[in-house]
Amino acid sequence: MPSVKVEVKWGKEVFKDVEIDTEQPPSVFKMQLFSLTGVPPERQKIMGVKGGLLKDDAEWAKLGLKPGQKLSMMGTADKVPEAPAQQQTFMEDLPEEEQDTSGMSKYGAGLQNLGNTCYMNSTVQCLYAVPELRQSLVNYAGAAAPGLGGDGNHSLTVATRNLFQSLTRSAQPVPPMEFILSLRKQYPQFAQTSREGFYMQQDAEECWGAILVSLRDKLKEGPSGDPVIRQLFGLKLHKSLKAEEGDETIEEDTEQEKLVCNISMEVNHLSEGVKLALRDDREKRSEALGRNVMFHGDSRISALPPYLTIQMMRFYYKADVQQKAKILRKVTFPLVFDAMEFCTPELQAQLKGPRIATKEIEDRKAGLNKKQTLSEEATAGAAGAAGAADGGAAAGGEGAAAPGGGEVEMKDAEGGSSAVAQAQADPGSFAGQLTGKYELIGVLTHKGRSADSGHYVSWVTQEDGSWIQFDDDKMIPRKEEEVLTLCGGGDWHMAYLLLYRAQRVPQLEA
Amino acid sequence: MAKPREEPKPAGKAKEAKGGKDELPELAEEELSEEDQKLKDDLELMVVRAADADAGVAALAIESLGNEIRTATSSMTSVPKPLKFLRPHYDTLKARLEGLAAGAPNREQLADVVSVLAMTSSEEGSRETLKYKLQGAAGDVSKWGHEYIRHLAGEIGEEYEERRAAEQPFDDLMGLVEQIVPYDMTHNAEPEAVDLLLEVERIDMLEAHADDKNYARTCLYLLGCHAYLPEPEDSAVVRTAFNIYSKAGKHSDALRMALKLGSRELAEQAFANCAEPFYKKQLAYILGRHGLSLNLEDGPAAVEDEELREQLQAIISNTKLSEQYLSLARDLDVMEAKVPEDVYKMHLVEGRAPTGPAVDSARANLAATFVNAFVNAGFGQDKLVTAVSEDEKVHWIFKNKDHGKMSATASLGTVLLWDVEGGLPQIDRFLYSTDNQVVAGALLAVGIVNCGVQDEVDPALALLSDYVSKDDPQTRIGAILGLGIAYAGREKEEVAELLLPLIMDTDLSMEVSSIAALSLGLIYQGTANGDAVEAVLQALMLRGEADLTQPGGRLMCLALGLLFLHRQGAVDATLEVAKTLDERVSRFLQVVLDVCAYAGTGDVLKVQQLLALCGEHIETEEATAWKTLHQSVAVLGLGLLAMSEELGGQMAHRALEHLLQYGEPAVRRAVPLALALLNVSSPDMTVMDTLSRLSHDTDTDVAMNAVLALGFIGAGTNNARLAGILRNLSSYYYKEPTLLFLVRIAQGLVHMGKGLLTLNPYHSDHTLLNGTALAGILAVLLAGGLDMKATLAGKQHYLLYCLTPAMKPRMLMTVDESGAMLPVPVRVGQAVDTVAQAGRPKTITGFQTHTTPVLLSVGERAELGTEKYIPASGTLEGVVILRENPDYVEMHE
Repeated sequence: MPSVKVEVKWGKEVFKDVEIDTEQPPSVFKMQLFSLTGVPPERQKIMGVKGGLLKDDAEWAKLGLKPGQKLSMMGTADKVPEAPAQQQTFMEDLPEEEQDTSGMSKYGAGLQNLGNTCYMNSTVQCLYAVPELRQSLVNYAGAAAPGLGGDGNHSLTVATRNLFQSLTRSAQPVPPMEFILSLRKQYPQFAQTSREGFYMQQDAEECWGAILVSLRDKLKEGPSGDPVIRQLFGLKLHKSLKAEEGDETIEEDTEQEKLVCNISMEVNHLSEGVKLALRDDREKRSEALGRNVMFHGDSRISALPPYLTIQMMRFYYKADVQQKAKILRKVTFPLVFDAMEFCTPELQAQLKGPRIATKEIEDRKAGLNKKQTLSEEATAGAAGAAGAADGGAAAGGEGAAAPGGGEVEMKDAEGGSSAVAQAQADPGSFAGQLTGKYELIGVLTHKGRSADSGHYVSWVTQEDGSWIQFDDDKMIPRKEEEVLTLCGGGDWHMAYLLLYRAQRVPQLEA
Repeated sequence: MAKPREEPKPAGKAKEAKGGKDELPELAEEELSEEDQKLKDDLELMVVRAADADAGVAALAIESLGNEIRTATSSMTSVPKPLKFLRPHYDTLKARLEGLAAGAPNREQLADVVSVLAMTSSEEGSRETLKYKLQGAAGDVSKWGHEYIRHLAGEIGEEYEERRAAEQPFDDLMGLVEQIVPYDMTHNAEPEAVDLLLEVERIDMLEAHADDKNYARTCLYLLGCHAYLPEPEDSAVVRTAFNIYSKAGKHSDALRMALKLGSRELAEQAFANCAEPFYKKQLAYILGRHGLSLNLEDGPAAVEDEELREQLQAIISNTKLSEQYLSLARDLDVMEAKVPEDVYKMHLVEGRAPTGPAVDSARANLAATFVNAFVNAGFGQDKLVTAVSEDEKVHWIFKNKDHGKMSATASLGTVLLWDVEGGLPQIDRFLYSTDNQVVAGALLAVGIVNCGVQDEVDPALALLSDYVSKDDPQTRIGAILGLGIAYAGREKEEVAELLLPLIMDTDLSMEVSSIAALSLGLIYQGTANGDAVEAVLQALMLRGEADLTQPGGRLMCLALGLLFLHRQGAVDATLEVAKTLDERVSRFLQVVLDVCAYAGTGDVLKVQQLLALCGEHIETEEATAWKTLHQSVAVLGLGLLAMSEELGGQMAHRALEHLLQYGEPAVRRAVPLALALLNVSSPDMTVMDTLSRLSHDTDTDVAMNAVLALGFIGAGTNNARLAGILRNLSSYYYKEPTLLFLVRIAQGLVHMGKGLLTLNPYHSDHTLLNGTALAGILAVLLAGGLDMKATLAGKQHYLLYCLTPAMKPRMLMTVDESGAMLPVPVRVGQAVDTVAQAGRPKTITGFQTHTTPVLLSVGERAELGTEKYIPASGTLEGVVILRENPDYVEMHE
């Protein structure tokens, strides 16, 4: 058997003295290599012979093989990469309006200005920031009523739903055509035109209110059919009016969907303005005295909403110029607003538990460090208890750690009720409850000197914590510091409506 | 030919000396000291005696005149006293000399004295020093001192020029030259010797006078002149330098000269001349870096010893390049694979959303593909394409769309660059894909992996040749470009045979044909190979208008230009043919040929021609935009011509600044490309600022080219400032996908090889131009820059892989004789130009001491920080072999 010994290189491996039977076709040689390398013959590429690759039908004699010749085999038994079964969709394949070149579409989309409609655009963008509202609109069934007739509230609700959906889907600015038509139909004041025939600028707060009225009428959820708007925004006020003379008091309960922040010469901060607005002095007929008496009123919140809207009373009707003039005074607002001080004592007591629970959970989240120091303090202070506390901390058992920490915190919460004790012992049970603290999620601002002129935009925080300024069709990323500069005191945008979301007791982490 | 730099000619000094005579009248009126008065009187007496009838008296007088002159010491800035006092008598002596008949006694001696006096006393331009020296005594000119020789050499130069123009003989001058040159060469005046020989066009005489004391300064000066000399003198000086280095036994330098000349013959000669394996291996490293392979089996460079031959072959073939590069990376601790986001650093971008869009964008993914390929180039591992993805659902390649898949698969080649043994098996499986784009990419990847590395079994040719004739055009393109990149600069005949028919076949699509032409241009760059030239010309003649106006038409023109890269006059015949072609390519081709042929020569006449072209105002419309395209090439040519040396480069920068202000749109948009070419991998602050400004230009073409150029000037530098500029651009252009794509590409380039690579085509201290690298860069800048939307930013993004031949590690690695790494301290600093400087000037400034391996930036130079070792090469770049210094004595504190 005529044979030639060759050297075969495979990747970084070298097989020396591989015998080739030159009477057999190259396929036999390939089988030899298969047994050496495990690469199937059809995947083998053998190089180093004349004419490039070794072909299966080649004749050894013509290749002029020399003993000791170096051949190289390329090939792997690896799987051939396959295209995914499902065709990959690329942004470039999407219709143009859904192409998101900026990476901003996850924050929604801009709204085109259809001629002085920035008041509406900014209102819509603020409301869009409330996920629960978006959800309940999705659930709202029914198509737009045909023609001009029909239920105006219904068609506005449908229009809102459709608009929100296109905001979610689209990456390009959306024209809110259907929405504005329904709005103007239901609330003709927004269809007011100037002498030149253009639609006029409107007050965003009025628009806000009008939309909520329609939505309250239509969106109902839960077994009781309670309006969603009331569930989300509704707050209850308890007002007690105390007569100046005598000791007559009148108690009143009202419901409303926003708080007001009045701006006077003394108001520098949001809470001062809110306090001012909740005071209500008026002359009223006293039943006891049988004449009009001055009553000092003081409203307190008796029920808090998940979303708290605060209106800055920046506009007032100036009779001499016959337009709504604007107060430019700087009134700062916080990123976290604490409504505790405006609540009724009953509500305050109720909030105490959740608040302590929140604090407790945060402390625990901050790490074992605190517990560690606490238990160390305990060791120093009371040697007797040291063993127990130390052991508890070391074991990491939460129940065991609580008494050690409890002792110290008990002093803070003087005369704590059972709720307080419970909050410390088992903060997890409060999860999801309101704490009376609210974080800022949206600001509707106005720039200009009167409500019916100037420019409205909205600033909305996103799930990932970033802020986006929605200026009609533009979406501009902003920072927290920039949002805090919207407090007024100049000609820059200033907050008109503030949308706060309730902070709830977080879930206890295991 | 006009030359930009005034050479330090002796004439300059002579003028200074003459300047002294204006002060003389004042001095004469001054009170002379007693000593001076005596000298003056003596000299006057001698002048009178020199005219004495008695030959003996006269001879004595002339003799003592000469002595007085010779012994007079004086500072360089003032005229020696005897010369000053003899000035009024110059004419007397001259008249006396003229009065003597030829052959009269004392005549020669007197002529010598008059010749010396003429240095300060004769009319400017009269060249009387030379005139009387020629009448004087033949023999030693050196006794009259250095200043006299300089003056004489200056006059010889002028005289020679005049006589040559008048076609008179100049043998008598050469007699003087033969005396002056040895004097200069032995008296630290090598530049003067070189200047004189250049003036009399006898640079070949220099070699005989070079020895191991003066060879270094002489050759340095010769090289310094090279950039300012016209053809053919420029190659004559390099040739002389080659001879001198060879004679001095500096084989590595001799080889560099051979490579500079582009002469395989001389390279073989240098290689054969060097007997010692220690130096021979170093030569092999230089050849490997330059990409020239010699036949070691037989022929002039044959090596007898089989073991040594194999070692040398391995070094020339760059088979260990991948290993060396990886050990460099390990030493610098940059092995960790990077993902595109590590380069984009979106979290640092002001006011931009930190995460990308929810849906994959094909273009963004394509950009990520390239960034990943560039950043992880040569590292053999990355997190996108080579990552084992059995569990993952979709391989990264399939996250690219259509033609993007080709580039994505090809990026495997860049990641596995140079690692033929380890890389090919990883690419293999993609060759079996059912998707033509993936197969095309895999073929291209095979070519890229083999770029610059030769393997005994020639895997690229074996694997790719069958695919060249496949039906699917994309597969063909992959195979063709793969071959072009794998054999760039290798002049491989088998590949040419495959490509030539494709170029001439007019039934093929223009895209396939033009890529075939480009590949051929890469493989045969700078060879002016007849068959190749003919094939491309034929294709350009046969193709119709529609084909020629495509980007492919321009690619073919470039291919033809690449064939003539750096060949200067050899292009003339083809230029004539170019004039007869269709008007749509004719002018374009002419300019391309011109600028390629004169690339890196700094030829001032060509530069002026190009500037004239740029100044033309051509009326165009949308449909006839091709009419101005040659102007863009002319601008690019300005950069191309001037890239070889610094002064020309500075001039080009100024010219480009003007074009930017006053140029037509076609001119303006090529300015960034020219700037890129002038500053490849060297991010100069001012250039960076200019480009940064242009990247916001209202003309999108200008902006796109500027963005690409930013990538080029920072390629492989990791420059932080540039990275910042590009990050800001990425946020500025977030809404413009095309520009954003280019910004990403530029970011990838800047972080190329994690900062270990360079694209600069010059190496060995900026003396050697690697034609292959330049060809690759031109393919991207010219083809890409002029048709950005159709090529790089369109469907021909795979052209970016033409950069692989230019990618080289920018390292200095020291090894011992067996090739193992040998860490030694080296000083790395900014290179200083020491041409024609006196003494032993410092060659680097602002240096820092590191331990090898180290990175060298463009414009930096290294020197050994220890005397313990002797390097095998004078230039410390790339891989340098060291051996222990036998004379080294350890110093103890």
